[in-house]
Amino acid sequence: MATNRSGAAQRPNGAPQTKVCQFKLVLLGESAVGKSSLVLRFVKGQFHEYQESTIGAAFLTQTVCLDDTTVKFEIWDTAGQERYHSLAPMYYRGAQAAIVVYDITNQDTFGRAKNWVKELQRQASPSIVIALAGNKSDLAAKRMVEFEEAQAYADENGLLFMETSAKTAMNVNDIFLAIANKLPKSEGAGAAGAGGARRLADGEQPRPSSCCK
Amino acid sequence: MYQDNEDDYKFAACTYFAKNHPGETCGSNGLPLTPSSITILGLAQRLLTIEHPNLCTYLDIIRGKHERIIVVAEVVGKSLSDFKSKFTINEVVNIAHQVADALKFLHEQGITHRTLSDDNILVDGEGRVKLFNYGLYYMTGGGNEVSFPLGLPKYLSPETILNGGGPAADVWTFGIILLELCIGKLWQNLKPGPILRRILTLVHANNPAERMAREHDCYDAYKQLPENLRLVIEKCLKIYPRERATFSEIVDDLSQINTSEMAEVKQPRGLMGCKLQYLYHWWQLAGGDIQAELKKNGLIKNSPPILSMPIAILLDGCTIGGKTGALFDCRIAKYSLGLLKSRLSHISAHDYYPLMHERRKQYDAVSLPKIIRERDTEYQFYRLLWFQRLLHGYPYTAPYIRAEAEIDIPPLVRGDVWAALLGVVGDIEEQYERIDKETPTPTDRQIDVDIPRCHQYCWLLCGSAGHRTLKRLLKAWLLMNPQYVYWQGLDSLTAPFLYLNFCNEARAFACLSAFVPKFLHNFFLKDNSMVIKEYLAKFWQMTAFHEPELASHLHEINFVPELFAIPWFLTMFSHVFPLHKIVHLWDALLVEGPSLPLFMGVGILRQLRDTLLESGFNECILLFSDLPEIDIGECVKESIDMCRSSPRSISYRRFTNEARTKEPMDMVEIPMEMLFAEICPRISLSDFFSLICQDKSCVIDIRSNLLYEKSCIEGSINVPYSGVHLGQHELRALGLNPQRVLKEAMKVKKTIVVASAEDETAQLFSDYLVKCSVPRVCIFHGGISAVQTHLPSLFTTPAPPNKNGNK
Ligand SMILES: Nc1nc2c(ncn2[C@@H]2O[C@H](COP(=O)(O)OP(=O)(O)OP(=O)(O)O)[C@@H](O)[C@H]2O)c(=O)[nH]1
Ligand SMILES: [Mg+2]
Repeated sequence: MATNRSGAAQRPNGAPQTKVCQFKLVLLGESAVGKSSLVLRFVKGQFHEYQESTIGAAFLTQTVCLDDTTVKFEIWDTAGQERYHSLAPMYYRGAQAAIVVYDITNQDTFGRAKNWVKELQRQASPSIVIALAGNKSDLAAKRMVEFEEAQAYADENGLLFMETSAKTAMNVNDIFLAIANKLPKSEGAGAAGAGGARRLADGEQPRPSSCCK
Repeated sequence: MYQDNEDDYKFAACTYFAKNHPGETCGSNGLPLTPSSITILGLAQRLLTIEHPNLCTYLDIIRGKHERIIVVAEVVGKSLSDFKSKFTINEVVNIAHQVADALKFLHEQGITHRTLSDDNILVDGEGRVKLFNYGLYYMTGGGNEVSFPLGLPKYLSPETILNGGGPAADVWTFGIILLELCIGKLWQNLKPGPILRRILTLVHANNPAERMAREHDCYDAYKQLPENLRLVIEKCLKIYPRERATFSEIVDDLSQINTSEMAEVKQPRGLMGCKLQYLYHWWQLAGGDIQAELKKNGLIKNSPPILSMPIAILLDGCTIGGKTGALFDCRIAKYSLGLLKSRLSHISAHDYYPLMHERRKQYDAVSLPKIIRERDTEYQFYRLLWFQRLLHGYPYTAPYIRAEAEIDIPPLVRGDVWAALLGVVGDIEEQYERIDKETPTPTDRQIDVDIPRCHQYCWLLCGSAGHRTLKRLLKAWLLMNPQYVYWQGLDSLTAPFLYLNFCNEARAFACLSAFVPKFLHNFFLKDNSMVIKEYLAKFWQMTAFHEPELASHLHEINFVPELFAIPWFLTMFSHVFPLHKIVHLWDALLVEGPSLPLFMGVGILRQLRDTLLESGFNECILLFSDLPEIDIGECVKESIDMCRSSPRSISYRRFTNEARTKEPMDMVEIPMEMLFAEICPRISLSDFFSLICQDKSCVIDIRSNLLYEKSCIEGSINVPYSGVHLGQHELRALGLNPQRVLKEAMKVKKTIVVASAEDETAQLFSDYLVKCSVPRVCIFHGGISAVQTHLPSLFTTPAPPNKNGNK
């Protein structure tokens, strides 16, 4: 898989036949499970031990190249503290994909992840692709959430599932890639959420949300 | 050229290495272990605040390369070990008395010396004693953070050799030193091993002091000592720690024996009479460099790295071979103030004692940027002495402090000045003491995960001492403010106060407690959405007021402040910038007051203006997720300009802790829904009136021509709303005369006041002006009718239009 720096490849030169799709993806999960760290690893290939906590939300973009398509993710990394919950709909409304993150060393965060999944199933676009990420898999010695338990839960709910580590980079690109693969890339697909998807970015050029050229 | 003289050597440095964590440097949470040097720096902060006449003041603790620690402290005279001649009994008693005084003080502070020896007891020419480097044991966490043994073998107490030992070990050491002063050095030709064995054999002695004297063939000399002095020695040299005297007893005993009168300490005048901390600070500004001097003195050696490469590295990370420097070096390097003296030699004696009633001097440096002023020796010299003076008179001098802080705040006293600006007074220690900071609460988990992510590049805040204190501060604040809850970001907000008051937790708390009601009233309510929405709406209006072109662009691409500015205001930028920038922002904030942050927000946008103007939604939001370098000095300057040039009422917010005005002339409050819809702010009648009086306003009356001609505000122009094409964003479209008047008004920075009979047309028209890039547009609160009611005298019948238009 090839990743480009954010925003670098709107349309790769010399390959005009490649489809370029744009998707809005949101990260949700309890505070300190590693949402920002996953994004930072995916977008910049870095890991900061002292990653600052997120207030409100942060926005980043990253492009991945599949066989015949270039997928540009517009990533909203949200604040994890329960108090900021009321802001969340602003970000997941109209998102085509979500990664719900928990920390494998903390059972409570897994519970919170399940709540997020429920909320997304109720409130978000029905076609949203949800992935569950059990982060901090490098801390296996302190594991509190069993892989099988999470896998079973993911299967039941039709979620993509991987254990990841922002620290070692394990499965980080893979989970984004798996999402990219699962997202519908044909013309008009995912348009159900289009109205909301562009809500935040309405004013920018009027283009369909998962626009394919 | 200047001449170095003995008295100029006021401070010295010594250096050692902190322990290196071998191999895997991660704790169980997957995060790196705190380096020992960081822990040491955190612990040592307390030492920097200790003041006692018999203790050398600590001035600085520096972290060098490779876990090197450099300690800078005051020095005087020379050490006991450097004295060649014997002391008389009177001198001995006098020295011992002062040493005991110092140790008594340290023990009262809960600090054990543990490394007392004849080379860290300094005596000056007048027999005054100061202990040097008494904090080594304390700052290394009882020796845990270093991998060399602490203390010279011959001064160790038996229990220290066996299992560590507590404060009473200092009493033993003191006894040995006293004995040495009386009968000469002990065990001079022995190696450490045999010395330790000798000490341990004393365990069987009835009277270890006598026994040692006998071993050194000094029994007779010992017996000839005055009995009361011998008694003191024997009270110290008891084998069992609990049988030893305490320092307060020893001080009492010695004060009975001590007959020497200390000469009055003559405080030198001029430079050498200034606080040592100031001297050190100025010395550094004048180019003094601790590390360079250490190198020159051979205390830091630069050997080619190849020589220190290990021969082998084991799998667990331990290394074998390789030349490393000594872990502990007992030598010290002294520093001369000669350079500073000559740098400040032209300053008249008079200037050392600035008087309150004299007009303060104007210095050329004032025109330079703050960061440069902060590095200017002479400027900081004047500023510090002046602030010292003012702070001394606080709280009575509060208005002077504010006036001076407006110019700048010397970094060395920033903590004191901030506390003064925030009005901190009273017995804050006692109040803070009483608050329960320990009982667990459900919020703890969030605090615990936030603290290790809060300003961790700062070595003060990243150590365990910093973490613990920050947690206590947050818990105390939450407990004392039950109406509020912990919002992520409160940690960042607290950090600057902790940073500036690291050893004065109570004051950090008092500052935070005073800051929130003033700047962030109701921001930390469980439901703060209205408070934040109002704030952001006001911020957006201020942007339209000062940066209309940018505001129109951002409105157009639907780029709303909710997406990026919440952390700005919720934390007063403390979550957005590093500490060295925050302090400059807050210096201004504390002086200017609670409206300034809105304009700081505009100031930041202004710096990014060009990029923002040519960017679409995604690029804009990306810019804020990863904020580019902001010139804080510039931002502060601009925001103060904007703030001061804006009528007060346009930044009015209802959610503040100021009493609401009932005076109709001052009122600008509108329902929240309306506020969110209005792009331009409203101006109150009284603000409008002052603008008129100063000829700083341009009134655009958008009522019909008919109404206008009946009666209108003097000096206003008429642009009937019905004739405006809102779609055409060009002033020209308004007609020649209005265009000319507006252009003229913009040139001299007049405030454009839109006056109408209805709110709706006023909103639409003011919005239109913003789209035409007209700055400083606001709406008349209450419209024309309010002016008619409250300021009827402003009305007149307009002159025929053909004359001049605006008259
Ligand atoms: N060992 C380990 N630590 C991680 C990993 N991912 C993140 N962390 C650490 O966990 C802490 C929290 O990470 P963040 O990325 O800030 O968490 P977040 O979910 O964005 O938290 P909020 O912004 O508060 O919602 C940081 O100290 C990271 O260094 C990981 O995969 N392994
Ligand atoms: Mg985050």
